[in-house]
Amino acid sequence: MKALIPTAESTAGAGMNDATARIAEQPLVWHRTRPISCRVNGQQVGSIQVPIGLMMIDFLHEYLNLTGSRLGCGQGICHACVVILDHPDGSCEEVRTCITGAHFFDGKQVRTIEGHATRNAQGEVVEPSAIQQKFLEHFSFQCGYCTPGFVNAATILLEKLKQQPIARDQVESTIGAGLGQHICRCTGYVGYYAAVKDLVLNTPGLVKDVKV
Amino acid sequence: MKRRTQFLCAGLAVAAVALTVTATWIDKIAMSYAEPMAPAFYKMQSISSRDAFARGRYLVKAADCAACHTASGGAPFAGGVKLESPFGTFYGSNITPDREHGIGAWSAGDFYRAVHDGVTPHKHLYPAMPYTSYRQLSATDIAAMYAFLMAQQPVNLAIPAPVLKFPYNLRFGVRFWNMLFLKDTLPDASSGQSTAWLRGRYLVNALGHCAECHTPRDAFGQLDKTKPLQGAALARIAAPDITPAGLARRGWNGSDLQAFFSGGIAPQGSAFGDMYPVVHLSTQYLTHDDLNAISTYLLGDHAAAPKHASPAPEDAAALTLGRNVYLAVCAGCHGADGAGKPHVAVALQGNSTVSQSDPHNLIVALLDGIAAQDFPKGESMQEMPGFAQQLSDAELVELVNYLRVSAGGQRADVTADAVAALRP
Repeated sequence: MKALIPTAESTAGAGMNDATARIAEQPLVWHRTRPISCRVNGQQVGSIQVPIGLMMIDFLHEYLNLTGSRLGCGQGICHACVVILDHPDGSCEEVRTCITGAHFFDGKQVRTIEGHATRNAQGEVVEPSAIQQKFLEHFSFQCGYCTPGFVNAATILLEKLKQQPIARDQVESTIGAGLGQHICRCTGYVGYYAAVKDLVLNTPGLVKDVKV
Repeated sequence: MKRRTQFLCAGLAVAAVALTVTATWIDKIAMSYAEPMAPAFYKMQSISSRDAFARGRYLVKAADCAACHTASGGAPFAGGVKLESPFGTFYGSNITPDREHGIGAWSAGDFYRAVHDGVTPHKHLYPAMPYTSYRQLSATDIAAMYAFLMAQQPVNLAIPAPVLKFPYNLRFGVRFWNMLFLKDTLPDASSGQSTAWLRGRYLVNALGHCAECHTPRDAFGQLDKTKPLQGAALARIAAPDITPAGLARRGWNGSDLQAFFSGGIAPQGSAFGDMYPVVHLSTQYLTHDDLNAISTYLLGDHAAAPKHASPAPEDAAALTLGRNVYLAVCAGCHGADGAGKPHVAVALQGNSTVSQSDPHNLIVALLDGIAAQDFPKGESMQEMPGFAQQLSDAELVELVNYLRVSAGGQRADVTADAVAALRP
């Protein structure tokens, strides 16, 4: 079976007169590059020349030295690698960086696990975010591999609740829907879910009929 | 009192005459058939009702009765599956042996008439029940299916009546429809005369009722007999062309078709849309010989060699833009070279849907995504996300045209209007 796009050898054999030859690539060996510029954790990145086939997780790790996002399954199932994509209208969503190319984020704005805690002028972490703190208090994780994904998912959930508070009896199902796709192999989720529930119920304005 | 008795007697007499006439009529229908229905059924009962049951179970699977008569999470054959159509909404009926809501009070003859003629003891069925195809079933097979269904657990569950638009809600219209359009056979899309081909014709046209989705329909919902199995768009995901020429164009051969029917996955892609439940409920249970018969019938006794799609020369700039989109959002699962990943995502090179000349299904798959699916033999495919929110019409057009040219051997002729028209 032919590859989707002719490789260097096959195009050479075709005499390079085929129009497709001009975009020939060898996946994992050679890709042409294109410039990327985006905002990561509030800072402008680029424009940098990046191979077109590079996945976002590799761009974060290898180009930006942001190594907190975890490559788990590499096929979009475990959600350890998700980052927050912020839209211009103020809404945000999770995007799996292991199956999404870096160039998808060109011109876009993202937050990674490195962007949650408060830092001092030297860039040192001085205070974790509210959800990071709750995860620590509830001993939510053991090995911590899935934690960056859970932090991002819980952050999105909390921001949504700030916009649209929910009723008390919807809290557990909403948390389930918000975190349900994230896989954890150590602690069985209870610590994560309890921490998010704790924060949701004890943060003013997230739940309609609860006085904090 | 006396008067009432007289009326009662008169009524009984009329009923008796009516019953006799009806019985004679049923007999006539049965006798006019090559294999007389009632004798065959009772013969089978007397020889071995267990054989009839086993045969019936296989036939009920081959006829995919569960697709419409077993609701998701519902009791087997208790009905309730919602069927949307251009004429309105139908609900699959309860065909358990429940006497009130099912077929428990039906005789073997009643069942034969329902399957063969679309007429139950109470009413004319709408042709949403594919008696139009099942009409070609042998009386022996219908009797075996009856034996199997009557041995199921009765379920006392009422099924809603269809909700149809005028004038389709006038049930008597079905009589005229039947007079005009109900035919004893369906046309063949392939040619052949081997035993396998003949068996395949029976499996495809009668049991599998493939034409009901894969043959286009005319104004009154009747199958267009001049275009057998040439593909039709009944639902959001269209049923593709499965004529010998259509299959060869998309790279199908006999062994790949058999792999697809038995496992839901072939080098040309995996079953999705309405074809997924067909594999799940029906074709995975077919014997090797029957799968071979189906592929023989679909491709014909002298099958044309499958053509593998080769990239058509196109404007490089147009392809580059599409390739960029592909690498950004598709290559993570389908691979930079389009080879796919086992148990994750299908190969796109030579993919049957990408290779369709009509881009409809490719666009719908990109917009809506495809749910995660488990297949027979422990195989599975992950969820494909929809890109309706992530990609603009312009980006989708670039992507669709890139895939069509580089993986499907088609032209880059899809426009933004075609994509916009299919947005949910």
